[in-house]
Amino acid sequence: MTKKEKKEMVGYRQQPGKISFSRPGSGGKSPFSEARDEEMIPESQGGKKEQPWGDHKHDKLITGRIVGKPTSLVDSKWKVTGRAKYGDDIRLPNELIGKIVRSPHHYARVLSIDLSKALELPGVVSIATGDDASNKFGVLPVTKDEHAMAVERVRHIGDLVACVAAEDEATALEAVRLINVEYEVLESIHDMKDGLKDSKDPIHDRGEYHIGEANVQKRVFQEFGNIESMQENAVVSHKNNWFFNGVNHAATEPHAVVADWDPSGRLTLYTPQQVPHYVHRALADVLEIPMHQINVHRTFVGGGFGGKSDPFPHEMCASILARKSGRPVRITFDREEVYWINRGRHPSHIEMNLHADKQGRLCGIETDALIDGGAFASFGHVTTYYNGVLHTAPYEIGAFHYTGARVWTNKPASGAMRGHGAVNSRCAVEVGIDDLSEKLQVDPISFRLANLLPPNSATITGFRVTSIGMRECLERVMKESGWKDKFRKMPLGHGIGIGCGFFISGSGLPIHWDPNKFPHATVHLKIDMDGGVTVHTGAADIGQGSDTVVAQSVAEVLGLPLDMIRIKSRETDTSPVDLGSYSSRVTFMNANAAISAAMKIREDLLNATSEITDAPVEKLVIGDRRIFRKDDPAVGVSYLEALHKAQEERGALVASGAYRTPPMGRAHKGAAAGLAPAYSFSAYVAEVKVDVETGQTKVEKVWAAHDCGKALNPLAVKGQIIGSCHMGMGQVLSEEMRYGRTGNLMNTDLLDYKIPSIHEMPEVTPIIVESNDPEGPFGAKEAGEGPLLPILPAVCNAVYDAIGVRSNELPITPDRLYRDIEKKCRELKIDDPTDLPSPRLEISELQDILEKRADQHSIRDRERRLKSDIKPYHNGALFGMDPTIPPDEVDESWRVTVIPSKEYLEKPRLAGSAWLHTERRKRGE
Amino acid sequence: MANPFGDVVSMSVIRLPMLPGSEKIPWEATINGKLISKPIESNAILLDVLRDQVGTLGVKRGCDMGTCGCCSILVDGKPKLSCLVLAQEVSDCEITTVEGLADGHHLHPIQEMFGEYGGSQCGFCTPGFLVVISALLNENPSPNDSEIKNAIEGNLCRCTGYQQIVDSVRAASELLNSGQNINNSTEPKSNPNPGFDE
Repeated sequence: MTKKEKKEMVGYRQQPGKISFSRPGSGGKSPFSEARDEEMIPESQGGKKEQPWGDHKHDKLITGRIVGKPTSLVDSKWKVTGRAKYGDDIRLPNELIGKIVRSPHHYARVLSIDLSKALELPGVVSIATGDDASNKFGVLPVTKDEHAMAVERVRHIGDLVACVAAEDEATALEAVRLINVEYEVLESIHDMKDGLKDSKDPIHDRGEYHIGEANVQKRVFQEFGNIESMQENAVVSHKNNWFFNGVNHAATEPHAVVADWDPSGRLTLYTPQQVPHYVHRALADVLEIPMHQINVHRTFVGGGFGGKSDPFPHEMCASILARKSGRPVRITFDREEVYWINRGRHPSHIEMNLHADKQGRLCGIETDALIDGGAFASFGHVTTYYNGVLHTAPYEIGAFHYTGARVWTNKPASGAMRGHGAVNSRCAVEVGIDDLSEKLQVDPISFRLANLLPPNSATITGFRVTSIGMRECLERVMKESGWKDKFRKMPLGHGIGIGCGFFISGSGLPIHWDPNKFPHATVHLKIDMDGGVTVHTGAADIGQGSDTVVAQSVAEVLGLPLDMIRIKSRETDTSPVDLGSYSSRVTFMNANAAISAAMKIREDLLNATSEITDAPVEKLVIGDRRIFRKDDPAVGVSYLEALHKAQEERGALVASGAYRTPPMGRAHKGAAAGLAPAYSFSAYVAEVKVDVETGQTKVEKVWAAHDCGKALNPLAVKGQIIGSCHMGMGQVLSEEMRYGRTGNLMNTDLLDYKIPSIHEMPEVTPIIVESNDPEGPFGAKEAGEGPLLPILPAVCNAVYDAIGVRSNELPITPDRLYRDIEKKCRELKIDDPTDLPSPRLEISELQDILEKRADQHSIRDRERRLKSDIKPYHNGALFGMDPTIPPDEVDESWRVTVIPSKEYLEKPRLAGSAWLHTERRKRGE
Repeated sequence: MANPFGDVVSMSVIRLPMLPGSEKIPWEATINGKLISKPIESNAILLDVLRDQVGTLGVKRGCDMGTCGCCSILVDGKPKLSCLVLAQEVSDCEITTVEGLADGHHLHPIQEMFGEYGGSQCGFCTPGFLVVISALLNENPSPNDSEIKNAIEGNLCRCTGYQQIVDSVRAASELLNSGQNINNSTEPKSNPNPGFDE
């Protein structure tokens, strides 16, 4: 082909130089596209954005227009006009209303169910009971212990017994009333401590894996390091026995589901789910149909927070009723039913022991956590581990001992809730560090700054930590809150406190680990000739803005405006498998998958441009809907021209991208729990006002610094930080699931279950710290759950700073706090609580040592995050071990143990006593 | 049916029977500017009528007992919780739901600003907030912070922590007072011909 002929090929082959129709989003013929915001372009690409954490593999993709800019959610217009359809808004023609018959007993055997009267009621179309679906399901494949409806026994008040579909709600309710169930009441368990003992009738039977004859669902024993030496080295210790009441997600949308079998025999389930994939699997198991015969349609989700991440029995009920009746069935919960299905945070007894040595190092953490799982396993297997392993960072620790147990009781099941498993024990650790600092007479922030792990290190449990912005978080909140002028210096009733957090950014191992090494997240892209990009992803947008983040990532890589990206994330029919919105994995994993898919399309576009313009691919850059030579921007083509060129002979451009975590971690039993490709860090300072005469606590201000790697959408990150403060404030001050004398849940409504209203909300100053994670998409990590952790201890510590009283039961309601104030007054022989002394701090010599160490570590950290050839750093270096070798390979006395010794079992702690039982298979029965 | 429980506990199984067939009465109301006539049951709750019969599904059901504010609507311009109102009480009234806030494709300033300032995350409580705030702005186009807080104290939001909602109200108030027009949402958002400007 001669050069002249080639020139004629510019633009459209059919009509060179002539375009007969308008070109939406084409970029036109102008040689220059919209100016880039140099402030957003990283230094490594010649821009002005500073990179104190070094450059990133995605830097070259940054166009300075979309990623990093506050962006309103792509579906916000749907939400503000009332057109967003949530679970109960799905109204199909000819629908039936489903209602559920629930158990009035804590624990009972179902002897008979008499449906005759209900069936006679005009308007009742179908009724289902446990006989209609006998297969078990559960979110974790190792602990499937739920049925759609009771098979043989009911395990808590509100457990499902039967369900009815009728023409209208009133008829369905009347039918529920007419169903007569005969029960034989069994002895129920309500105190989780009773769950540790042998029982006549354990709530579940795990067969040969059953632990003793007790109600222990899961037990964990873990020891890292030389446990004996930690107490020997300690100069001060902290010990506290905590009780954390259970809390519920209290999402504003009650659960709702619509099931519809179409005439071709396929089931479509409309449900506000965080994890459509697990429902998909569970439905196939329970209904005994292949997965491809089911389409799970995620509606808009009116708040999840973990409360919509299990496959639920009512979803099975709706499907069974719809199959029986041949009509769509809609089941909507009232607020009370939301509490019966629960899956909220576990009520927990946590014993926290911390030890510090004379150099102000954290030489040991001993934790014992007994958690109340309620009637089912849910995510509990994981929660039991998370209560331990997620508080082993960001600090360097001498030794770590953890015993955890999760027991079944006859209550609504606990499960995953924002900050899964990490929140309660984190609160205990951070309050403990405050107490240790007090005993060592040092500033608690200085203590923390002198004990942090550096970037690119391994924690005591072997987690690989890449980026870590903990130090910056602490420094920022210290500065902005005016910490030094306030801490231990304010008058009685006014206090300030610090708390830190550490959380996973996606789980390293997927829950269903298939042998095939499936990716964690997959994203499909399709671009047809209109130029709009259709993105298929299974990531569930539950309000956190995952659709927006995926759209931003694709738009950034392809140099397109956000409105050219169309996210299709609703149906399992069209979405690739995605593990859903939990464990803060979506931004990290899905945006990475989206980038990898978009990169393939980008390559196609660059090749096409190269073919049109003769410019070598390496010289081309993507701008705003235009692809051009970097050295001569006048040479280039519009996005649409390049696209149409690339589409010649093959039609739509289609690409698929996936993300899978790298291999990580140690090999001991349970090593996978808590492994993540990256971790987020946060530090909050809370300022409170406590009325010593009433025990009323008001949080006035919060400075909240969170290291999210990079804020792809700062608007959403700030929203997550402030929202986390709201939820954590609820747990620390007002929210609890209150069980009465006889074990009944007493506050199943939003009047008595007190979530903070606007008047309780403090003024939150969100501070975003960007540590540029090397594996995160554009450097990003999670921001959804981690920000919740520090608010609880920050408030607890601030209350202590205000009045010198430490509570060990959450929430710190006025009555509880006043009880503690009275106790303190008696101890000090004070009549009037307003005479209580304000805590003051006399700084010891150790403070200087810590500050010096913190300064040295600060330099060390800077080097470690910028150097490319860094040596490994294992936890233990602070204690004089060789950082480059895993400690157990250096020192024989440094051990990893997962089975308790005989000596331990002679005097076990509370949860540790679960190990006194022997599994059935080991008893030789 | 005797209460089989030790403590007082309310549960769906012991609800009073609510048989269909209570007397139907004619009912008329102007909903979002449109006159609607429906035969309703005399004891029908307004929220049920709006969602199940009128089809204004933007009105959300969160608690059924007046605690969450998701079902807020305007009756003759005043905010009401539709779950606590009998439909009969508001016959012949003017009712505005979230669907009635926008003027065609021109959104109400508070709708526009909710998106822009992150006042809406999961969006379920959003309709309730929007109608309450629109009533506030109608009465008081420049509310101060405590007026804003008092106006939305009856609405619960579990995602945002309210701060960004207050930000949105401030921005909407500014927008209202500046007299600027809100864009028609059907207009192109990105310039179809970048580089051709000016």
